[in-house]
Amino acid sequence: MAEIQKSWRDGALRLSTLPLLLLMGLFFVIPLIMTALLSFQGTQYYRLVWTWDLKVWTDVFSQVHYWTIMWRTLMMALVCTVLCTILAIPIAYGMLHRLSRWSDHITLLMVFAFLTDAVLKTFGWVLFLDRSGVLNGTLEAIGFPPAAVNVLFTPNATMIGMVYNLLPYTIFTIALSMARIDGDLVLAARDAGASRLRAFIEVTLPLAKPGIWAGAVLVFVLSLGVFLEPKVMGGGTSPLAAELIRQSFETRVNWPLGAALTLVLIVIGAAALTVAGAVALWQARRVVND
Amino acid sequence: MTKSKGIPMFSPNRRTFLQGMGAAGLAGAGLMPRKAHAATSMKFMCWEGYDSPDIIKPFEEANDVSISIDLITDSPGGFAKLAAGAWRDFDVVATDSPWVQRMGPADIGEFLDDAEFADVYESFYPQFRAPFAPLDFDGKTTGLPTRWGWVGPTVNTKYDKLENWSSYAPCFDPAYKDKICVLDWGDWPIMPMALYAGIDPYKELDDAELNEIRLVLRALFKNTRAIVGDLSVAQKGLMDGSFRTLIGGGTYCTSALRKDGQKEIMSIVPEPKDGLNQGIIWMEAGGVVKDPVDDAKAKALLRDLTSPEVAVKLAWTEATCNLVPSQEAEALFTDEQKDVLQMDYMWEAWDKSHFHNVAPNIDQMLEIWSQELAAAR
Repeated sequence: MAEIQKSWRDGALRLSTLPLLLLMGLFFVIPLIMTALLSFQGTQYYRLVWTWDLKVWTDVFSQVHYWTIMWRTLMMALVCTVLCTILAIPIAYGMLHRLSRWSDHITLLMVFAFLTDAVLKTFGWVLFLDRSGVLNGTLEAIGFPPAAVNVLFTPNATMIGMVYNLLPYTIFTIALSMARIDGDLVLAARDAGASRLRAFIEVTLPLAKPGIWAGAVLVFVLSLGVFLEPKVMGGGTSPLAAELIRQSFETRVNWPLGAALTLVLIVIGAAALTVAGAVALWQARRVVND
Repeated sequence: MTKSKGIPMFSPNRRTFLQGMGAAGLAGAGLMPRKAHAATSMKFMCWEGYDSPDIIKPFEEANDVSISIDLITDSPGGFAKLAAGAWRDFDVVATDSPWVQRMGPADIGEFLDDAEFADVYESFYPQFRAPFAPLDFDGKTTGLPTRWGWVGPTVNTKYDKLENWSSYAPCFDPAYKDKICVLDWGDWPIMPMALYAGIDPYKELDDAELNEIRLVLRALFKNTRAIVGDLSVAQKGLMDGSFRTLIGGGTYCTSALRKDGQKEIMSIVPEPKDGLNQGIIWMEAGGVVKDPVDDAKAKALLRDLTSPEVAVKLAWTEATCNLVPSQEAEALFTDEQKDVLQMDYMWEAWDKSHFHNVAPNIDQMLEIWSQELAAAR
C-alpha cells in the first residue's frame, strides 16, 4: 500500500484543520485567555473592578490552604485513576473473552448506568452506605453489629463515588483497545508455550496500552474537577478544588480568585499529564531500542 | 406605560436580541404561541417558589404580561450577575434582603416610594412596616419584604431534647461528636458560631475577633459529621437521627419536613448569651431592577407578591414553607399551616435574633471557613 506523504505546506490540508482550529480557538483558547485576564482584576463590594494587579496571585501563592486543597485533589485524582485502571483491565478483558456471549448485554447495562444522572447515582450511594442504609441493614440482618460500615461522609466514600462514576471511561477505552488486538498474536504466544496469564501480560497488556493511557488520562482530567462526590458522599469535610473554585465564584463572588484557582488547577493537570506523557514516550522508546 | 430600557438604539441587549430572533423565527414558521402576544415581556430573577404557576400565571393573565423566570441558587451569585450587567435583562428580583438593599448603592435597582405602597405596608406586621431599616439605603426604600424565617439549631425531638439546644454549646460537646450537620450555605453557618463566640459578626471586626471566629469554627469542624450543601442529605439525617442537629439552616430547612408530617422536627433560637442574641432573622425581598421594561407592571408584580392571597401561596410551596410579612395573610392560613410554620414561636424567635445583613468582614470570614475546612482532615 502506498504511503501518502502529508505536509503542512499543503493548503488543502491546512484548510481542513480550519474548523477544528476555529472551534478550539472560540471555545478553549479565548475563554482561557479571558480567564487569565480576569485573574489580574479585583473585586469591591461584590463587583468586578478592573485593577490590573497581582493581588489575587499573591493571595493564591501565600495561602497554604489553597495548596492543601490542590494537593488533596491531585492525590485523589491519581488514586482514582489507578483504581479505575486496575479495575477496568480485568473487566474489559472479561467482557471480550470470558463473557463474550454477554458482552452486548453488559455493555448496554453499563451504558444505561453511565447515562443515568450522576446526581441520582450519587444520592443512591448515600442511601446505600448510610449508617441506617441498605448495606448496614443487610449486614445487621446477617449478624454484624449495627452500623458496621461507617464509610459515608469520609474521603473513602468520596473515592467510592469517584471510581463508580468514572470507571466506565476506562472500561470502554480499554475494551476498545483490546478488541483491536489481533487474536492470532495471543494464539501464537500460547503456541510458543506461554501460559494464559503470561500471554495476557506480555501480549494483550502491552498492545492495549493506548486504550489504558487514553482511559487513564480521561479519568484523571475528570477527577480533577469532581464536585458532587466530595460534597455529597464525602460530607463536605474534605473539599476538593472544584468546591474551592465554586465557593470563590459563587459564595464569595470573587471571580478573579476563582479564575486564578481555575488556572492553577489547569496547570497542575497539564503538568501531571505532561509528566505521564513523557514517561510513556520514554517507555515506548526503550521498547523500540530493546 | 411601557418605557425603554434607556440603552442606545443600536445596542440591543441579550433579551431584546433573543426575543427578536425568536419571534422572527416563530412568526416565520407560523408557530407564535398565544403567550408571546402579551403586551409586555418581563424577566424575573427569583428563588424557587416565586416561580410557582399558581403565582405567576394569574398575574400574567391579569396584567397582559409574559414573565420568564431565572431561578437563582445563590443570592450573592445572583447579585453579581445583575451587577455584571445582567440588570439590563431583568425587571424584578426576589432574593435575600441584603442583596436587594445593595442594589441601591450598586445603582442597579429602582427605589420605591413608600407612600405608593402604603396599603401594602398597612397589611404587614408592624415589624415590617415602613420605614423598614433592613431595606433602606440612604433614606430610600430598595424593596419590599416577601418571606422570612430564622436561623437556629434544627432538632428532631424524637432523638434529642429542645432544651439541650438553648445554646450552641452541644456543637462542641464530645458527646455530640459526629452527630452535628452543618449547612454549607455561605455565611449562614458562620454567623451563629460567631454569635456563640460572643462576637457580633454584623459589625466591623478586628483581627482578634476574626481569630475567635477561626477558633470556634475549628472546634465546630472537630465535632461535625457532614457539611452539606444540599438540604435533602441534612433532612434525611435529621429524620433518622444520625444528625442530632443541623446548624445554619433553621426554618428554611425545617418547614418542608414539618409539612410532610414530621412535626417532631423543629427549629429554635438559642437563648441570648452574655447579652448577645443568638438567633438570626433572614428575610427575602422583592425589588425592581433599574430601568424595567414596564415600571408599573414591575411594581404591580411586587405588589402581587406581597398581597395576602399570594403571600400564602409563597409561604406554602413544594420545596419549602416560610413565614410572610403580611399580617392579613395570617388569617388565611389554616391551623395546620400555622403549626407547620411554627407561628406560635415566631415573635419569640424574632426577639432573640439579629437581623441578617451583609457583614463587613464576610469575605475574611469565608476565607477563614475555607482555611479551617482545608485543615480539618
